[in-house]
Amino acid sequence: MGIVDSPNGRRSNKKGRKHSKRIGFHLDMTPMVDVAFLLLTFFMLTTTFSKANTMEINIPPDKAEVKVVESNVMTLRIADNVMAYCSLGDEAPRRIPLYDSRDTHQLALSGELRQLLRQQTAANTKLVIVVKISEKAKYKHLVDIIDELNLMKIDRFSLDDYTEQDAVEIQRAI
Amino acid sequence: MSRIKAKRIGFRIDMTPMVDVAFLLLTFFMLTTKFRPPEVVKIDLPSSHSELKLPESDVLTVTVGGDNTFFMGVSSQQSRVKIFNAVVKPKLQAAGLSSVAVADSLKKFKLAENFRVGRDELDKFVVMARFADQKLRPVIRADADAGFDAVNHVIKVYKKANLLTFNLITVLEREAR
Repeated sequence: MGIVDSPNGRRSNKKGRKHSKRIGFHLDMTPMVDVAFLLLTFFMLTTTFSKANTMEINIPPDKAEVKVVESNVMTLRIADNVMAYCSLGDEAPRRIPLYDSRDTHQLALSGELRQLLRQQTAANTKLVIVVKISEKAKYKHLVDIIDELNLMKIDRFSLDDYTEQDAVEIQRAI
Repeated sequence: MSRIKAKRIGFRIDMTPMVDVAFLLLTFFMLTTKFRPPEVVKIDLPSSHSELKLPESDVLTVTVGGDNTFFMGVSSQQSRVKIFNAVVKPKLQAAGLSSVAVADSLKKFKLAENFRVGRDELDKFVVMARFADQKLRPVIRADADAGFDAVNHVIKVYKKANLLTFNLITVLEREAR
């Protein structure tokens, strides 16, 4: 560590002070290097080179229309009461909770819904999932659903508007 | 022949190269560090398993706050100037501001990362940003708690501006499934 000279220690008894030679003197640089390393560690630890993570979404233009047989369409409606309503083709929708518990900080979708999605896509490879989310639902639901579908490697899905008709449709739920 | 060993007590190493490298790294980190600008609104991002990274340049960000307010930001300053001249300037002039005041607010606008937009103004701004920069990468940065109708509104605005591929910013979720 740095050496601090006390002024009293070196005082000579002689009245006339002798100047020490200044040629080739040594300066203790330890404190400076200490501070430099401290700053270096600070900047190295606080710097994050990472960019934000994103999820890419493609939406079809308004004009493009893809015709799919109705039996190959599964509609997944998310109502504002955090319930998912799944219906295959024209069938009456089945009510499944979106998350396993009522805890809003839940990350994964409910096991039942995941199992259903996995089963249906395995049974029918041509299945297209149409996701309709109520205006009153949260943005988080959208991200969770897309994330889940991406994890299951299901890429045949699309987003659609949640209309009055959908609100009527979920009344028939079992 | 026995070699005479040099004394190892109280020896000195020349630390100059190490200190040189330390200072070099220090300067590098000090110059490259860009402190995160203070956020206008606190955004609590949703989490996902996607590891795709945000593009570096030409980013158009529409931020949706937890209270469904909209903020817009364009990364390039040229685009900001174009947007200002096309949308904000006529509005300020109509409000009776002098040219000095308009030039002053342009300066401020050029440096702002984000600015607040009304729900019905958003499409005008997005279309203008699209005109200003053709290679635009649209991004939605919404709070996990934001209503779906607000986000859906942004998606519809993007669709209208013919921006069909866009990114949602999320934080990485490590929990495996």
